[in-house]
Amino acid sequence: MPAPILEVRGLVKRYTRGLFARRETFRLEAEFSMSESAIVGVMGPNGSGKTTLFELITGSNTPGAGSVLVMGRNIHDVKYKERDRLAIHYHQSYQVRRFRRTRPAFLMQPAGHDYPMVHLFDEPQFNTRDGYIGFMLDFFRRLRSQGRLVLVCLHPNEPYHIELMEEVCERFVFVLAGRVREYPDFRAMVEAPDVRSYLGRLAPLAAVSRR
Amino acid sequence: MALFEARGIHKRFGHQVVLENIDLSFEAGRLSGIMGPNGAGKTTCFNVLTGAFKPDRGRVIFDGEDITGRSPDAIARKGISRSFQTMSLFDEYTALENVLIALPEVRGRGFNMIEPLAMDGEAADRAAAVLSRVGLSGREHRRAGDLAYGERRALEIAVALAAGPRLLFLDEPTSGLGAEATARLADLVLDLKRDYSIVVIEHDMRFLFGLADTISVIHWGQVIAGGTPDELRGNKWVQRSMLADLGGSP
Repeated sequence: MPAPILEVRGLVKRYTRGLFARRETFRLEAEFSMSESAIVGVMGPNGSGKTTLFELITGSNTPGAGSVLVMGRNIHDVKYKERDRLAIHYHQSYQVRRFRRTRPAFLMQPAGHDYPMVHLFDEPQFNTRDGYIGFMLDFFRRLRSQGRLVLVCLHPNEPYHIELMEEVCERFVFVLAGRVREYPDFRAMVEAPDVRSYLGRLAPLAAVSRR
Repeated sequence: MALFEARGIHKRFGHQVVLENIDLSFEAGRLSGIMGPNGAGKTTCFNVLTGAFKPDRGRVIFDGEDITGRSPDAIARKGISRSFQTMSLFDEYTALENVLIALPEVRGRGFNMIEPLAMDGEAADRAAAVLSRVGLSGREHRRAGDLAYGERRALEIAVALAAGPRLLFLDEPTSGLGAEATARLADLVLDLKRDYSIVVIEHDMRFLFGLADTISVIHWGQVIAGGTPDELRGNKWVQRSMLADLGGSP
């Protein structure tokens, strides 16, 4: 059986403060697997851990525990320069690559792919006035049709944000205070009480858009 | 066969992949547009296509010949001219002199060429004809620095035309222009389209949708969409945007 495109196993990232008496200020935990190509919506408040999760998946941030496997390869064991051939992080319009080198690259394994298999779009600039939204959504669909996994992260603050996430995403991940939960579809996600609470004034609109 | 093709272009600066697997094709006698939001990689793409940057991977083909990695001068000699997003005029020189020094026969003369050129009526006539083509008749002896911004854009195009290109690249020609000057520039480019194969890189969708035969959309360093303006306009989200008000067939 082929390896899942993305497998996040027992992932833990802790941030602490204090030189001697270390106090935990943030903790992210994640465990999920995505075996097939899909477009996955990632939502959650600012500061909930969405970008940290993306950084851990692309190998630009180091976990305290657990692992991220992309196409069966541990991203943190892949040569720094080749990690973007497995998973690539786009922040708004730009690609993000900052790798802290902790091991010599020649001891690490190659990516084994020539084009990223997992594409993580972090807060793409969706602006209804410039018309690029439609092209972006089509691009996500094209990547999916090519067998890639697409994660689109958005902190919605306009009704059309909800509309376009519902339109293009098949599955959802909700991140709240460092906890990562999966939902099989949009309906299941917006029915969760804490998601509805987070969406606030947008939640009723989300309910309407489902009818 | 396409006049100009880019196949699988890949460009990286350090750890940053700026262009990823770019495929583009421009037909002779057409106006091809490349558009994308700020930071999308449009100008880097332009620089690779016109020889300013060498691609890490991929090929650039002009009229069946592989010109990948050739210098900008060598590519210009093949018949490709370009204008720049940032003005590259000599402000102390007149409009006529700016065009004169872009004429191939004049460039061949090298250092200290301006003075004797004043006597070269034939070259001056050719330069004046190019200025006339871009609507700058009567401005020949104005210093480039004294021209209005829109006129300077037109002069930039005249400088690119001076070499008699077979393919003209224009990099964000509406940059810094107001609505009226943009409309005048659109008229000029439409007029040039009758005689030249043109590629325009532009973030102003209105401008491109009104002029281009085909458009490629670049974002995140990749071609994310492409087609005729009508095909692109058919997208639901494009119709919801300001583009729905553009001219052309519904």
